[in-house]
Amino acid sequence: MLCSSKMFGVQKLLYLAVLLLITLPVFSQQNLQGKVVDSSGNPIPGATIHVKNSKASTITNKDGSFTINSSGNSVLIVSSIGFANQEVAAGNQSNIIITLSASSATLNEVVVTALGVKREKRNLTYSTQQLSGDEIVKTREPNLVNAVAGKVAGVQVTSSSGNAGASSRIVIRGNSSATGDNQALFVVDGIPVNNDETGTAGGNAVGSGVNRVIDIDPATIESINVLKGAAATALYGSSGARGVVLITTKNGSINKPPLFTVSSDLSFEKPLLPERQTTYALGNNGVFADGDIVKTSASWGPRMDTLKINGKPAPKYNPYDFFRTGVTSNSTISAAGGGASSSYYVSYSYYDQKSTMPGNDFKRHSFFGKYNTKMGDYVNTTFQLGYSNSTQDRLPEGASNGPLFVLYGQPVSWNPYPVLDANGDMRLYRYSRNAPLWTLDNMKNNDVVNRFLPVFTVNITPAKWLTITERLGADIYTDQNKYFENPQPAIGLNGKVVDNNTNFRQFNNDLIINASQTFGKFNVNLLLGNNIISTYYQNINLTGNGLTIDEFYNVSGSSSIASSESHSLQRKVGFYAQANIEYNRFLNLSLTGRYDGSSVLSKENNFYPYGSAAASFIFSELLKGDIKKTLSFGKIRFSAATVGNDGVGPYALNTPFIQAGRNTNAGYFLYPYQGQPGFLLSSTLGNPNLKNERLDEYEAGLEFRLFQDRISFEGSYFYRKSHDGIIPGVSISNATGFSGTTVNTASIENKGIELLLGANPVRSKDFRWDLTFNFTKINNKVLELYPGITQLGRIIVGQPYNVFFGPKYARTDDGQLLIDANGLPVVGDQGIVGNATPDWLAGLENTLTYKQFSLSFFFDMKMHGDVENGVDSYGFFYGSSKATENREPIVVKGISEADNKPNTVAVDAQTYWQSRQYESIIQDGTYIKLRNVTLAYNFKPTTLARTPFKAASIVLSGRNLWIYSPHFTGADPEVSSYGSGNAAQGVYAFSTPTSRSFSLSLKFSF
Amino acid sequence: MNNQSTMKNIVFLLLITAGLITTGCKKFLDVNKDPNNPTDVQESLLLAPIEQNISDNIQGGFGSVNIQNYVQNIAPNQPNPGIWNYQSFNADFDGDWYNFYVVCLNNLKILNDKAEGDGNTNYAAIAKILTAYTLGTATDYWNDIPYSKGFDKSNFLVPYDSQESIYDTVHALLTRAIANIDNNNGAVPGSDDYFYSGDMEKWRKAAWAFKARYAIHLTKAPGHTASAQADEALSYLQNAMQSNNDDLKFTYEGNTGSENIWNLTFSPVTTYVLNETLVDTLVNRNDPRLPVIVLPAEQTGLYHGRRTGTETQELTTYSYPADFYGGVTSSNYIITYNECLFIKAEATLIKSGYPAAEAVYEDAIQSNFSKLGIDPSSADASAYINSRKLTSANAIQHIMEEKAVANIFNLETFNDWRRTGYPILQPVDGALSAIPRRLLYPQSEILTNAQPQQSATLTDRVWWDAQ
Repeated sequence: MLCSSKMFGVQKLLYLAVLLLITLPVFSQQNLQGKVVDSSGNPIPGATIHVKNSKASTITNKDGSFTINSSGNSVLIVSSIGFANQEVAAGNQSNIIITLSASSATLNEVVVTALGVKREKRNLTYSTQQLSGDEIVKTREPNLVNAVAGKVAGVQVTSSSGNAGASSRIVIRGNSSATGDNQALFVVDGIPVNNDETGTAGGNAVGSGVNRVIDIDPATIESINVLKGAAATALYGSSGARGVVLITTKNGSINKPPLFTVSSDLSFEKPLLPERQTTYALGNNGVFADGDIVKTSASWGPRMDTLKINGKPAPKYNPYDFFRTGVTSNSTISAAGGGASSSYYVSYSYYDQKSTMPGNDFKRHSFFGKYNTKMGDYVNTTFQLGYSNSTQDRLPEGASNGPLFVLYGQPVSWNPYPVLDANGDMRLYRYSRNAPLWTLDNMKNNDVVNRFLPVFTVNITPAKWLTITERLGADIYTDQNKYFENPQPAIGLNGKVVDNNTNFRQFNNDLIINASQTFGKFNVNLLLGNNIISTYYQNINLTGNGLTIDEFYNVSGSSSIASSESHSLQRKVGFYAQANIEYNRFLNLSLTGRYDGSSVLSKENNFYPYGSAAASFIFSELLKGDIKKTLSFGKIRFSAATVGNDGVGPYALNTPFIQAGRNTNAGYFLYPYQGQPGFLLSSTLGNPNLKNERLDEYEAGLEFRLFQDRISFEGSYFYRKSHDGIIPGVSISNATGFSGTTVNTASIENKGIELLLGANPVRSKDFRWDLTFNFTKINNKVLELYPGITQLGRIIVGQPYNVFFGPKYARTDDGQLLIDANGLPVVGDQGIVGNATPDWLAGLENTLTYKQFSLSFFFDMKMHGDVENGVDSYGFFYGSSKATENREPIVVKGISEADNKPNTVAVDAQTYWQSRQYESIIQDGTYIKLRNVTLAYNFKPTTLARTPFKAASIVLSGRNLWIYSPHFTGADPEVSSYGSGNAAQGVYAFSTPTSRSFSLSLKFSF
Repeated sequence: MNNQSTMKNIVFLLLITAGLITTGCKKFLDVNKDPNNPTDVQESLLLAPIEQNISDNIQGGFGSVNIQNYVQNIAPNQPNPGIWNYQSFNADFDGDWYNFYVVCLNNLKILNDKAEGDGNTNYAAIAKILTAYTLGTATDYWNDIPYSKGFDKSNFLVPYDSQESIYDTVHALLTRAIANIDNNNGAVPGSDDYFYSGDMEKWRKAAWAFKARYAIHLTKAPGHTASAQADEALSYLQNAMQSNNDDLKFTYEGNTGSENIWNLTFSPVTTYVLNETLVDTLVNRNDPRLPVIVLPAEQTGLYHGRRTGTETQELTTYSYPADFYGGVTSSNYIITYNECLFIKAEATLIKSGYPAAEAVYEDAIQSNFSKLGIDPSSADASAYINSRKLTSANAIQHIMEEKAVANIFNLETFNDWRRTGYPILQPVDGALSAIPRRLLYPQSEILTNAQPQQSATLTDRVWWDAQ
């Protein structure tokens, strides 16, 4: 009804217009009145109208109406964001209705830029890449970071482990901080949100925690925009220097009846496990050890097929039987709609994953509601609230007392059952470790996060050229992390219970004044703003050591209790301004400036300015004729930017006394100790003169589209260099009395290219083929750390970020191994044995659509980028790695030290493998993955016409279906077992295996 | 609306806001005062954790475990290679260096400066005594070490002092500590002093005992004579410890988190058990202290130590330390009355020959018997002492062997072996070199403070260990 009456109105107006056209006399110079509407007849406010070849221009009012001075034969050029430009001959009309059609997605794509400002992509002077909500949901990843993996040029995503809820790392345009945060800033509807890694119980639960962006339900996302360069992110100030992931949530729409959408996914997962040798039994030098009476950790025993136990062939037990089939379900219900002046979107989803690892699950309830209403003519408000409750259960990972360290090396001759012996003690074939099955019932790490993300936005439009936006948002969560381990006398542990609670509160306020005006061919947009952000963080830890009551996990039942509390407050104030000047739709100039104050720097240095300048030139506007037909769009752009960053946590200026603790092989025990409180001076010397660090970036880009947009290309080259980089805790000689201090001296360089290629080779009525290819190559180099210091762990001056450093084999001048008298490679000095930074990354997505069917598959590639294989490091020694299956004596290829001739001395396999050095476990992490395959069937609207449904679809998908990693001996080289931190990158060590999964999804709307 | 007037109003408003904001801003940002950690603490709060670290990480700790492997008191149930067959890397000693310099010496300096400033001379005395001990231990591990140019917040490159000058510093610190005790001003420590609960007379005796220890270390040092060092030691010993009650020892309460450091060293995770050399020595000599020092193996009931470098066996087939040294509530001995008597015996031997040393030597053994709860007048004890009499040929060997038993798990056995060659040690099975005579400089120091001394290897000798 609503719709048809509108249509009627339009017809009436048109009729009126025609009538006027006939009856009114011709004016040479006249005031032309008119109205700009969309294809449904809704008025388009803020559309620009200018008279071709004249300076006259205007902007439509909120009801879409306008008045402009024009002559009878003038041509009006009408443009508005999100719509195709239109040229209209004014003729002799004095009242004209101009209907704009929505722009085709590629040509006049509107993207969200810094501070939530929407702009036409063609006018941008920097690189950004948008992903739609559908693309995010299609990956079936609960963690947004993983959903972005491989899809965006310039972005590297690294998952940490296969645990349900495990953290992932996202780095945009390379690591630029030596030891500080290198991960992108996440912004939801204009409000920065925290992405800390939580859930390691103050370090007790080893392995990867949960990165907190996981609290955001992907189903509520309309689009994600990745802002990469400093020019794009300068308005975000310090924290945006590392790149920004802008998340825009879904909205309701004005005058739409409620649309309910229900979707449900179910998936099954199988672990991807490293191959291992299954030929040899527990023991050493071929002699069997039964594990009960004679214990050893090594699988260098006899062949299983010759081994007899009590005269019978020895049975084999598969250690991997420990794992289970994972089951994940995800259900979402949402409603969207709106009345005449307000709209709403509400959503609830429940995600439940039982991973392939027993004892590991992740559950998330998320609610999201957004309500938008117009208050009178000038004010538009939006209130939204996200609430989530996320729970993760897991066991410690890595080379810890969790199950995986033992499991990956467990011999096939060992029967893990029964778990306990006749005395009720844990059974295990070796010393010093927990039995994997025992840990399932005796250790647990439970992490519960309740999070609120409220945002309140007011837009005031007192004049058509002016918008004032006030946006207040908060990110509030509590993290309740509980860890316990039962006493285990076999490894000298008395049991422990840890309650580690975190309160996080961040308030963000932006006041933005945005003014737009057209002066002839110039379109000028000015933005002024102020940002205040305040971050509070509190951690309370209760640790009870020595559990005294069976199956009772409250600190009250422990024999010693230590507690600690700490909190911090950090504030930042920023003033910013931006000017975008567009000339005649082909030249764009963008200037930004920001002045920041940060509470964490020294008072003398706590305010610092920075800014950017960028320009673009749409050269296709100047093309004519056939070339224009081939090259429908072409743009080049350049930018230069410098961004200041405070780059350090609160309280780094002083050198305080710290509550003492006793650190032994049984744990870390805070004071009071034996009844005495105690403090020791901080081991890190504070730096009272800290100033901001700085990141400079230059970028050049080329974008073009060919053959009616069938081929699109975007390429960027960037050079970025950080300097005055803050290193919190750079190592200094302990003879100073301190192990480190905070300095302002690091410099890291990143240069790279990003390519994004889209193609649409087939476009027919029933069949369509789209493909997108992205490519990233970043060269990274550490230029400077601190005078006299050339190495900080894995960060070495002159080398890429995060190399592997350790014992190397000695080699001849021509690179051959030197072999000693025993036939073993000679161990030389320590040196660089690998580099975790990949040469390049690429992603290829294909989508084939035939009638109602749609098939898409996504390949993800990484070239080089070494991985430290910690599982092999022990697997070689223990004889459990696949590589140790050949037990013939080995003549190592190389040159004998003794006579400079090729080595002929054979060494037995156990000696050889047990003497392998660090260099031998650094493996090339090259991979190609078929990360996603999705087959969808969307029901035809005509089929649904007789049903209550407006839309329905069935989707089958598979994840990690195929992995090709020719050099890595584990199953999936895309892991960092110790979480998303800097130093953990490229280290694979006993983490929960990643998995291959198959899922079925149903979605329908009514 | 008139565009121009709106613009003017906005500019005006902005100026006012900007003015308000910039004045308010500085204050708004003034929140960087650490609420979690104090900027100053009193002496008693520093003393407790320093003493605990001295016990755990100077007398105990990784360096100490290396030494106990070298002198074959302990052995891990692990195959070679490892520190036990003399495979060490510079980075292995990063933790020790950190404990010596950052945890102990820097906090001892702060404690001393603070106590001197506050006129608390007793605290200043304890700080100096423990500084002397820490420095003495460090130089015995590493020879030349940083000290006089260290602890400077504006100079991160610290040249090393010679071992000779460190020894001078150690004696000077001890002399000044004794003067501080004589002053007896200000606060007296109480239960924050885990060692002596503020008994400053015992601290005075400990200071003299350390002087004697560090004097006797230089018996073969270049420019020093055994005779002069013996004279010095004998004079210091007059004021040193007079009974087992005077021992400088750290007593652990033994509940979770406060287990004796040697108990933790023998945790099943480390797989450390007693060394065959130690166990067989006590067994072969028919030493009545054997059951007080050594537990029979759980599985076999036999006194059975592990031979380093052999095939690993079940842990329960090996002997562990008995409760006197290895229990959770046992004490960790830093310097003892027994050691004083053995220094006296050695000094007497040097000055007056073995017949004069015999009585002191027997007194030393008997006092150790008493400490371990064995009646020194019992038949077993007498028989043992009779079997261990001094002769001109064996005097120094017997004194050092008996001192090693009394000083079990103490660094002194390694120092004595380096000085005298006793107790006699053979390299372990599969040894990668001769028995080490020092520790390596740490990797952290090589990376942050390159000094010419850092190329030293395990078999290099420290200054006083002259050939």
